[in-house]
Amino acid sequence: MFAWFKKYSSILRASIITALEYKANSIVGLFAILTGLFIEYLIWSMVYASENAAYTIDGWTFNRLIAYIFLSMIIGQLKSSWVTAHEMIMQIRQGFMNQYIVKPISFFSYHLMNFIGTNILFYIPYTILIIIAPIIFKDLIFINFIQIPFFILAVIMSIYLSYSIYFFMVCFAFWFGEVRALLAAYNISMFVLAGQIIPLDFFPKYYQNIIDYTPIPYLIKFPVDIAMALEVNLYQWITSMLIGILWCIIMRSLSGIVYNIGIRRYEAYGS
Amino acid sequence: MTVLSIKVSDISKSFKTYNRDPGLKGAFKSFFNRKYTNFHALKNINLNIDEGEILGILGENGAGKTTLIKLMVGLLHPTAGNIKVNDYTPWNRNYDFLKMITVVMGQKNQLWWDIPASESFLLNKRIYQIDDNIYNQILNEMVELLDVKDKLHTQVRRLSLGERMKMEIIASLLHRPKIIMLDEPTLGLDVISQSKIREFVKYYNEQYNATFIITSHYMNDIESMCKRVFVMNKGKGLYDGNFLNLIKKINPTKKLIYTFDKNPSNETINDLRNEFDFKLENNMLIAHLDDQILNNLLKKLFEMSNSQSFSIEDLPVEETMRSFFENPKNYL
Repeated sequence: MFAWFKKYSSILRASIITALEYKANSIVGLFAILTGLFIEYLIWSMVYASENAAYTIDGWTFNRLIAYIFLSMIIGQLKSSWVTAHEMIMQIRQGFMNQYIVKPISFFSYHLMNFIGTNILFYIPYTILIIIAPIIFKDLIFINFIQIPFFILAVIMSIYLSYSIYFFMVCFAFWFGEVRALLAAYNISMFVLAGQIIPLDFFPKYYQNIIDYTPIPYLIKFPVDIAMALEVNLYQWITSMLIGILWCIIMRSLSGIVYNIGIRRYEAYGS
Repeated sequence: MTVLSIKVSDISKSFKTYNRDPGLKGAFKSFFNRKYTNFHALKNINLNIDEGEILGILGENGAGKTTLIKLMVGLLHPTAGNIKVNDYTPWNRNYDFLKMITVVMGQKNQLWWDIPASESFLLNKRIYQIDDNIYNQILNEMVELLDVKDKLHTQVRRLSLGERMKMEIIASLLHRPKIIMLDEPTLGLDVISQSKIREFVKYYNEQYNATFIITSHYMNDIESMCKRVFVMNKGKGLYDGNFLNLIKKINPTKKLIYTFDKNPSNETINDLRNEFDFKLENNMLIAHLDDQILNNLLKKLFEMSNSQSFSIEDLPVEETMRSFFENPKNYL
């Protein structure tokens, strides 16, 4: 276990060093999320401006909605591994995957660590934002201290689950060569369907019932629900956490199966 | 300690490909109606390699050399046949097998582009779980041998091609693999770097009894490093054996340059022409002949004249192999 940790933490380390090489990109990346947040703020403030202060949409006040969007955007950014997924597709298509599969490492874990390492610089300001969030959104986020550890666990689960889903799609590159269109379709649909830009409560009830049978609620909704819960419901959180973990296991296993079948078709192009 | 061996048995590998007409029309046509064909990259290859050998794989572009290497390291699954490296099947990618091998491919680099090579070395140290002392000892030895000590902390993207290749080789050897596959290791390098890499391969092979499998288009590489060669043509094995024997088989002639001390008489020349085939330029006689005939000519020349100087040369290996690849059936 310790050897495993040393092996993969070294990939994390090298990824952080690489990210630090490009100062401008890292600094711009830090503030990228604020742009999206600002645009959403403007849109919703216009929607609510025409009504009185007590106006709600599906029970959501303006402040509560902005707090939701703030959290969902941060989580959406933290879990977003589409850049890594694009790199993996290119590596499969152009034969650059060769360098990984002749080494005693897992392609899945290598790129997971690479993804976390590249994004780790963003985790620092996002953590600061989340720490100051309860002050800005008073009585809306983290009312009870116990919400914080559950929220952190739910975010970690969301990152792993999201990466496993991306990896599952990436593996289809073994058959089709190019699957970035699939990733683009997934990205766009998840923006809306996972509740990244508007709460799932705004959707019809039948949609919410359907997605409860998929891993989608564990990507954004579950961690945000924990952070914004008005009362502690440990039983529900633990149950949902266990279902989320089960989804992680299912998606990791599925991606493993597809990878093991797909790798037989890998053509290791180029010399 | 188990003796290492590689057994390639009846290996075949086919790739599914398709051809299309050029231009936009061809692209649309191919989009709706794509006709696939099978390209047979390897056909029933058999090969056994023992521990400590340096085997050169020769062949023209598209002969299947790299495909064979890719199968031996487990990058590809075969269409038919089997490969065993001791008890391991390469494409199962058992971690113990992967710790035993390494591969350096000309265009596919393992070094991280944006950070110094030393960081990639540290990464490999962790991946292969190399002990600190052993790592330091191997690294120091190799940077000295390949003369790149002062470049260790330079970003990889700022290194020259030769320096990068040397760093690639170091990264590949840190875990002290028993089998080392080098695919075109000297491609694009200057003569000094080429010779440094050749010397290094020979040193490493002698020092650690490591098995090397090398492909190269530079015959000088093969001549200086490999006693044994496996020659491939259009996916088939043509020759497996000693390289110098192959050269002799292809071109048994040698070149004699004999300079007379003074212009030879017509009588002498006519006499020689009755028995031997040669060219005469002023007082210099040039002949391409088989060993035995060449000896007879030389004997006769010494009897009939005095020489200012003479030399006997083998034909350049590059030239010999070129004529071989133009029509291999003529020689085997």
